[in-house]
Amino acid sequence: MRVSDAPHLDLDTSWMERMGEWGTAAQPGKRGLTLEDIRIGPYGELPEESDNMSGRPRGAAERPEAYRIGGYTVRSKKEIWLDNATFLYEEALQRQWSSATDIPWETIAPLADDIEEAECALCTFFNEVEFVAGDVPARWVANISPDFFEARNVLLAQVQDEARHMDVFRKRALANGGGLTRVTGATSGFIGGIDLSRDFTEMSSRMHVSGEGAVLTMFRMGELVGQNPAEKRMYRLCAQDEARHVAFGIMHLRYLHATAPERHEEIEAYLDEAENLPLAGGTNPAGPQAETSEALAILLGGGKQHYDEGFRILLAIRKRQLKEYMQRVVSAGFGERFENGRSPVPGRIAELS
Amino acid sequence: MTQTSRVKNLTASVAHIDVPPPKLQWMGHSMQWGTRVTKGEHGLRLGDLNVGIYGEIPQHWEDQSRRPRGAADLPGMPPLPYHLRSKHQVWADSAADLYEEAIQHRWIPATDIPWNALSPLPDDVERAVCQVLTELMQAANAELECITYWQEQMSYGYHEVKQLLAVTALTCARHIDAFRKRCLANGGGLGLESRGRMNRAILESRGGWTEAVVYVYVLRGFYIQNQYRFLLAHAHNAAERVIFAHCLADHARHMTYALDHLKYAINQQDGQRAVIQTLLSIGERTMAREMEEPVQRSALAVVFGGGIEGGRQEGMATWHALVRSAIHEYLDACEWLGVKRNMIHRRLNALLPSDEQLKPPARD
Repeated sequence: MRVSDAPHLDLDTSWMERMGEWGTAAQPGKRGLTLEDIRIGPYGELPEESDNMSGRPRGAAERPEAYRIGGYTVRSKKEIWLDNATFLYEEALQRQWSSATDIPWETIAPLADDIEEAECALCTFFNEVEFVAGDVPARWVANISPDFFEARNVLLAQVQDEARHMDVFRKRALANGGGLTRVTGATSGFIGGIDLSRDFTEMSSRMHVSGEGAVLTMFRMGELVGQNPAEKRMYRLCAQDEARHVAFGIMHLRYLHATAPERHEEIEAYLDEAENLPLAGGTNPAGPQAETSEALAILLGGGKQHYDEGFRILLAIRKRQLKEYMQRVVSAGFGERFENGRSPVPGRIAELS
Repeated sequence: MTQTSRVKNLTASVAHIDVPPPKLQWMGHSMQWGTRVTKGEHGLRLGDLNVGIYGEIPQHWEDQSRRPRGAADLPGMPPLPYHLRSKHQVWADSAADLYEEAIQHRWIPATDIPWNALSPLPDDVERAVCQVLTELMQAANAELECITYWQEQMSYGYHEVKQLLAVTALTCARHIDAFRKRCLANGGGLGLESRGRMNRAILESRGGWTEAVVYVYVLRGFYIQNQYRFLLAHAHNAAERVIFAHCLADHARHMTYALDHLKYAINQQDGQRAVIQTLLSIGERTMAREMEEPVQRSALAVVFGGGIEGGRQEGMATWHALVRSAIHEYLDACEWLGVKRNMIHRRLNALLPSDEQLKPPARD
């Protein structure tokens, strides 16, 4: 090494005078030290509009010469925020599970071929669905300003949850003498679909509120669909995760409803589409256009010979899906659409009554 | 309520509706019926599923739909933008095992860190810890932004890798979470943001995932790994020890995937070795400048030296040892990959400390 190449590396402590707010001492509570516990002082203040393009942690001192490396397109709080983000993130970490060891795989026993094939068809479909719910939030993460990292963390936890769901459904399909079946294609790039959303709230309303909401109802019916303790547990654990994802969507919509009245009509338009596509189309496993409806009817009835009985249970589940969807939209603040005739959902419920 | 009565309740309101006859067109399409994978002593793992056609991992996966590997396709599906459809672009044989390991080794910053073990530190040391962690937060942030940028472009022919990266991205978020909590729990605060040289290089390496891996893990990964290792050795309390031990284990997993993938890519793709060599030649200068950057370097030295005074001699000597370890591990990895680094960038070479620089100061 030439002496001239050696950098001059003295200790520099000038940065000690350029740090963020000093003297913060968050205390752990009964749930440990949560993200909510450290939302104190200036570190808890979220900007309405983020000008953070360097990716600095919220509250860190700015450095004028830092590179503006973040290509963040979601920089407005109302575009992304929800009031319970810290809770959902911490809950997600507390409730992680392992498909390898937390499912009692030994309880799976051979099933009649028609039931096994129906279960495998459902698992194949859920693989497709979980792919969407993993890919799409991941796409948004790097576009969201880290000033809103709490919301981003929930999305990252969702991406991991969906990976685990895909994993557990693949495991189930290959664990009991069956195999994967044919894809439905219901998740591939349709107009108005989740993939094509160009706005975060548009995506969230379609994916979290209607799409995952419909799937959540299905997972909650796992006690009826599942044929053994392994499947019942699989659906129960997935439902627990899915409920968080749906809660994200509802709470975000609620926040946006309260803070962005100028966007109400736009959101209503997204809900119009959602009620006619994700909720009623092939992406809803219990939907009238879905092949998986037949598989579900076989599972719910206990075989092809009890198809009619199973189909009627499915209709009841479909009705429950719609009612639960309505409750979510009402909770988000957009319930008027069910009273003013805009939404087709009340009519669909009436048809099932 | 029993299952039977629940079902009766459910169906009572729809009993009048006619049931359309099933078409059952979805039946009979399985490409390999009769698969029965059983769990082993570590449960039913992702890698256990790779049997028969389900374990045939193609060199190219042209399907741009969301068809799981081994499922029958449905012709006519519109393509989705899965740009990474060749095995050499993403694959690592260890991905499935690393995924399961990551799930088993999950931890929770809120409750798995003994936060009550924190106690006040001298102001200069507390400032240094907070500064180091602020920069490490940004490094983890760049890592997760890079991963999530590429993740959705990876085809489902290689789902094991996508799953591992899903866990990896959340792990990065968990590191940020733990570092932020540490900064805000002991009377300090966040530090000065990073200059962002390597973060920029990582986020701008958009030519391919393999190229991004070179920047995130080969060029910077060893520096990060050694920071965790040295910070663990110089932890002030049990809380810091647990944090850095977890981060070190997590990061080692990320590095394992990275090196495994690069080895695979080099062996399978003509010209990949030369591309990586070029990237390293370009990136070494940026990495050297990041290491020279006075803020993180000095903050680390203050932590290692136990304060500003100790930082000038002992702390800087320890920092030099850290840098030497990182550069040597980098060179060892390059050699293992078969990517020659006979002439590393002069700025990086200049950071390799002399024996004199590694000596701690003589004490009176």
